[in-house]
This record gives sequence, structure tokens and C-alpha cells, in this order.
Amino acid sequence: MARTRSYKAQKFIEGFQKKVNRQAMLSLAACVHCGLCTDQCHYVLTNPDDPTYAPAYKGDLIRKLFKAHMDWTGGAIPWWVGARSVYTDQDLEELKDTVFGKCTNCRRCSLNCPMGVDLASFNRMARGLLVSVGVMPEGVAVVAKDQWEIGNQMGVLPEDYLGTLQWMEEELQSEYNDPSIKIPVDKMDCEVVYTINPREVKYDPRTIAEAAAIFHFAGENWTMPSEGWDQTNFGLFDGNDELGGAVARRVYEAVRALRGKRLVISECGHGYRSTRCEGPNWAKMDIDFEMESSVITMLRYIKEGRIKVDKTKNSDPVTYHDSCNSARSCGLFEEPRELLNLVCTDFREMYPNRAENYCCTGGGGAMSMTEYAPRRLKSAKVKADQLKATGAKIVVTSCHNCVDGLFDLIRHYKLDMQVKQLVNLVANALVVPVKPTEAKPLAGYKILVIDDEADVRIYLGKIFKDQGCTVVDAPDAHQGMRAIEQEKPDLITLDLVLPKRTGEKLYWDLRKDPQYADLPVVVVSGYTRIDSPKIDFHGFIAEKNIPQPDGFLEKPVDVDKLLETVTRVLAEKSKVKH
Amino acid sequence: MYQASPVLRFAEDQLQVAALLFMAAVYIIKIGWILKFPAGRDRQPTTAGPHTNARKGAWHSLLNIALPWEMASTRQHPWFYVQFVIFHLGVAASIAMSFLIPYGPELIAGKVAVLGLQGLFAAAFVVGVLRMIRRISDPYIRAISSPDDYFSLGLLIIWLGFSFLAAPNNRQASEPPLMAYFFLTAFFLVYVPFSKISHYIYYPFARWYLGKTLGYRGVYPVRRGA
Repeated sequence: MARTRSYKAQKFIEGFQKKVNRQAMLSLAACVHCGLCTDQCHYVLTNPDDPTYAPAYKGDLIRKLFKAHMDWTGGAIPWWVGARSVYTDQDLEELKDTVFGKCTNCRRCSLNCPMGVDLASFNRMARGLLVSVGVMPEGVAVVAKDQWEIGNQMGVLPEDYLGTLQWMEEELQSEYNDPSIKIPVDKMDCEVVYTINPREVKYDPRTIAEAAAIFHFAGENWTMPSEGWDQTNFGLFDGNDELGGAVARRVYEAVRALRGKRLVISECGHGYRSTRCEGPNWAKMDIDFEMESSVITMLRYIKEGRIKVDKTKNSDPVTYHDSCNSARSCGLFEEPRELLNLVCTDFREMYPNRAENYCCTGGGGAMSMTEYAPRRLKSAKVKADQLKATGAKIVVTSCHNCVDGLFDLIRHYKLDMQVKQLVNLVANALVVPVKPTEAKPLAGYKILVIDDEADVRIYLGKIFKDQGCTVVDAPDAHQGMRAIEQEKPDLITLDLVLPKRTGEKLYWDLRKDPQYADLPVVVVSGYTRIDSPKIDFHGFIAEKNIPQPDGFLEKPVDVDKLLETVTRVLAEKSKVKH
Repeated sequence: MYQASPVLRFAEDQLQVAALLFMAAVYIIKIGWILKFPAGRDRQPTTAGPHTNARKGAWHSLLNIALPWEMASTRQHPWFYVQFVIFHLGVAASIAMSFLIPYGPELIAGKVAVLGLQGLFAAAFVVGVLRMIRRISDPYIRAISSPDDYFSLGLLIIWLGFSFLAAPNNRQASEPPLMAYFFLTAFFLVYVPFSKISHYIYYPFARWYLGKTLGYRGVYPVRRGA
């Protein structure tokens, strides 16, 4: 009697039969159970007594279905070739435990299989089929839901995203004392549209600021989109091509809507793979703009001389961890190394590396599956040993998942090491171009400030110095006269209320002295007839029949009026250069 | 002059031809079956640098089996790779011998040729036995082994044993081993398409597609540090 099958199991099998393409079919049919893949998996190396971690064993759980439902011999004599179907929801749960909890889809076994069996690809397919019947780790469900509903995998709201960009823009302007640094949003017709991982908004906004600084100093015409800015794609991890297509399409459409020429993908392994290498296939779209990793962009800026870097600013020993997704699945091997050699003084490889590197153990969505964290950290021993052997103080990676995975294992295995991304190192090594100083309107002139109040002398002195003047000051008329004789100022600001000898007396002395009769004087005084009944400057001028001062300003001083007056007076005396 | 028995003549000729035709027919059907599955394709612009492309990747992948230094799995297990080579050469030589004995016996009549073949079959036989011991004793391999895995390997070990005995092609003195060899060969040819031994049909396809994808993405040929 035929065994009955649960509704979910039935749907799973129906989906499986539709989903298998030629590449998957070949991977499912070709395994000869030679076992060469066994010790290429980090799970096996750290669980030496448990064969259920072996790639061939894990693959067989899916292969058995293929044999049971699509292979001749399996259909006729299933026990002979190990064919077995799934019947119950419990069967699906057990499959879930393997495809989500015992494999990070790192593809290392695929590259080490003599037959070319690509376990990572059909393991992802099995994940997608399980997700289609609602069988998945809770964390995967939550993240996938956020990406469907809110448009990014961390549920970042638009106001938080835009607020963070604004915040980072202000930080940058303050850090570089340059209000021209911007993080443009939705600017049309830019050369570069820059997308990021929502983790950057939520936990690591500094990377956004650093990238913005690099774009700014490279003189790039760039923007970030207000929609479709999340380059990450949980469709890669949950195996759901529909989600993968929808998310990728959102990014591509944002670039098209802004008429961007190039999509630059921030340092994120799965984001890069999803957007650059898988997205067009899931979304069934042909892409008519360029797409590249920000690693390539930064490297190009340095090579083209658009930014200058000083590698001595990164002098700690650095090693590089290849992200499985950007390296083993997209071929990004050499550019990060070339860039590292340009921005740090002591780069050392870890072994093995490039296509043979071991997974950070946080890949394949593992960071969102907390129920498997103990397994993950146990398997991370391989990576920890690799890191330790380098003796490096910093491990650099171009992937946010790897950052989290490495951070976790470094803490777990108590390694003395930091995790950084290339953007951190490049930004740190940036040689910021010195801006040519703006021509100061009063540069080259010397002004004498005569005032008995020290605060006023300092205040006026600062205003004039900011305009490029040389400033000397004096607290009374006698010292003022001495300064006039010694310093030969181009202009004097004169307080009228001075100790011992008043300002009006000094003014009269100057005007009757042919040597100083034309020396410009701007009276800056707070006197009133009530406060200083003895001083009647206008009456004094009339009485002595001497010229009016070149300017007359009352305290408190209006800065604009002061500068306008001083500039005008100097210009009138034909000394102002502009 | 010695005349081979009609049974042996049938086993080495008509039976082989019939078995081969059957195998070829099943293989043609099998290839048709493979091609019935839609092939996935890479729609995105390539990420390969100037050093590679899809075609280079595919060829590299196909030839991968002859480049043991290319994969960590073979590089780290050179003895395993040597076993693989011996075993597959033994099988290939035995298949060739099944054609040579009836249709070109003079080509393997010399003492050196016979000894060479026997040496190869013996080595392959020993490798087969070692592989069987590994399959039974290694918990990782045992966990993934089906009855077909044991039977296919056992079949090949026995077949290689009879290949060793049949290699001298001494019909007067050793007709029974020759007959056993040819009957086993015929059975082997008929059984292969339904067993794991048919992996060599999948091999070129599986490796071609993997290599094409990885070449297009700049991963194949594999680059690794010193």
C-alpha cells in the first residue's frame, strides 16, 4: 500500500520536480560517493565523528528525493540506489535542519568535487522549496518578511535611512570642516548610484560616511537612492527566487529611475553576488548600466589619481578574508588584495585563501539562525586557527556577514584581532587635499585697535584677523600713539573713552600732525552723553574744525557694518587690493 | 588447430555486440533525458577578468580530472588520486581488451603486452579491494554508500580479477576464465547505465556546466595564493 504524504510534503515534492534544472539534475545524478569532498567542509573538520556533516551525506538527503521521483532505477528499485521520498512534516523538519543548519552554501566542496557536483546550488534549491511550504528557521522567516514588506532585510524605515544619511553628512562636514561634503539622495543623471547593506544604517553608519568621503574627495558625481537602496537579498539565503527577483528588481529600477550610469555595490559579499551575479537571472532582467563592487571603485580612484592615500596610516599587520559569495561565486579575488597593498604597510595572506578559503561560518544566512549558533561557533574553529596563524591584528573582509561572523568567532575564541572592511582602511589612509585658502578681503593690511577694554580688543582683533589683517592693539592713547609710530598701521579703530587721555584728544593730535593727518580712523565707541557727559565728540570736531573721522560706529559693534566700513575706508584710501 | 567453444565465441562476439547496442541505446535515451531539463544560464554581464571566460572555464573544468594540483581535495590526498588513476586505467584497459580479444588478438599477443595488462589489472584489482575496505570501514563513506555502491565496486573487482586471468587469451588452457570475463563484461555493459558506474555519462555535462558558470564569473581556472 502506498504511503500517504502530508500536504506540505506533497507540495514540496511537486515543487522539487518543477524546480530541478539541468545543472541541478547533473549535480544530483553525478555523485559517485567517493568522499573526496568530506574534509573540505569546515563542519566536518570540527565534527570529526559525525558523518551527517559530510557534503556528500548532506547532498544525499536531496539526492534521495531525486532518485525516488526522477531517476529510473530509483523509481524501480529505490532501496538499491538509496532513493527515499519525504512523507511527513517531520521529514521536512529534518531536511531543514541539514540544509539550513549544517551548510552555509559556501561552495568550497563544489570546487573540490572531481565530478563537478555543485552542492551549494541544489542545497539552496532545497531551502527554497522548504520555504515555499513554510518550513524554515524563525530568523529566516522574519528577515525575508521584512525584505518583502519594508523593502530591506533589517526593517529600516525610510525616515531612519534618510535621517542616518543626514546625520553622516553633518558628521563629515564637521570632521573635515567642509560644508561642501554632501550625501546626495535621488540626484538625477549621476555617474554613480551607491547602494548599501541595511546593517550599515543600523549598526555601522560610519562606513556610509567613509564611502561618502571617498566619493567626495574623488570628485565623483554620485547619489544614493531613497528607494531600492538595499543591495542585500535574502532570496540568496532562503532559496526563494521570487524574493530574489523582487529585491534585485527594486535596486535595478532605482538606478534606472535616477538614470544612473553605474551601480556601485558597497562591501557586502552576498549583496554583491545577489545584485551583480544572480539578480538579473532571478529578476529576468537584462541590465543596461554597469555594476561593480565598491572595492573596484576605490581601487580605480587610487589608480586614476582621483584620491591619494598614505599607507603608513594603516601600519598594523592586516590579513584578508575572502567572502565566499564575492570570491568563490563572483571571482573577486585580486582587486581587494591590490587595494590592500596600496593602503596598508603589512598585508599578509591567510592560508588557504582565494577560492580555497574557508567560510567565515556566518554565511548563507547563518547569522539570522540563532538556533544553530552553537554549531556555527564550533565549526568556526577552522577559521579561528587560520586567523591566528597569520599573526595579524586586523582581519579585513569585504562582506558584512563575514564581519559579523568573524567578530563573533574572534570573541568566542578570544583572538586579539579587529575586523575591518576595506572602506575603513581606505578612508583612514585618505590624504585630504588642502583647500586653496580663499582670498581674504583685508589681507595685507595692518589695523591698530585702541580700546581700554581687553574683551573688545580681542573681539575686534579676531574679526580683523579672520579677514586676513595683521592686528595690533593698545589699551590707551599713549600706547596707541606709540604703536602708530612703531607699527605704522593702515587704519585705526579708536575708542573715545580712554583712561588718562581721551580718544578725541588722540584724534585731534593725529589730524593736526601732517604725518598722520590722512591715517584712516574709524571711531568705535559706546559713549553716551549721559555716561560720559564730558565727551561731546561731534561738538569737539566742530569746535576744532577738523575733518570727520572716516567711520563712526557705536558699540555693540555690528560685525557686518564694521567690516563694510573698514573695507570701504581702506578702499577709499586706495589701498584695498580688490 | 584449437577451436574455441561455441559458447565462448557467442560470449565474445554476438553477446558483446548485443550488450553494447543495448548500452548505447540506453545512453542515447539517457542523454536525451539530461537535455530535457532546461539549462540555467547567466544573464548578468560577466565578472571574468581578461584571463578567463565561460569557454576557458568549461575546458578547464573538463580537464580538471587530469590536473590533480588544481583541487585541494586531490592535492591533499595524492595517494587517493593515484588509486583513482590506476583503477580507471584498469577499467579502460579491460574494456579495450574485450574488443581486442575477439577482433585483434595479435595486438595483445606479446608477452610484454600480456604482462603489462596483467600488472595493470592486478593493481586495479588491489585498488578496488582497498576502496571496498574503505567503503566498509570509513564511517563517512559507509554513511553515504547504497547497495549499488557496494555492488558496482564488487562487480568491478571481480571483473578486474577475471580480466587478469583472461589477459593471456590462452583459450586451450583458460577458456573458463575467458568465458567468465566475457559474460561479466556483457552483464557489466547492460548494468552500467542503471548504476553509479554510469557517472562517466554525467561527468562531461556536469563539469562543462559548472566550468562554464565559474569561468563566466572569473572563478575558473582557480587562482590561489602561493
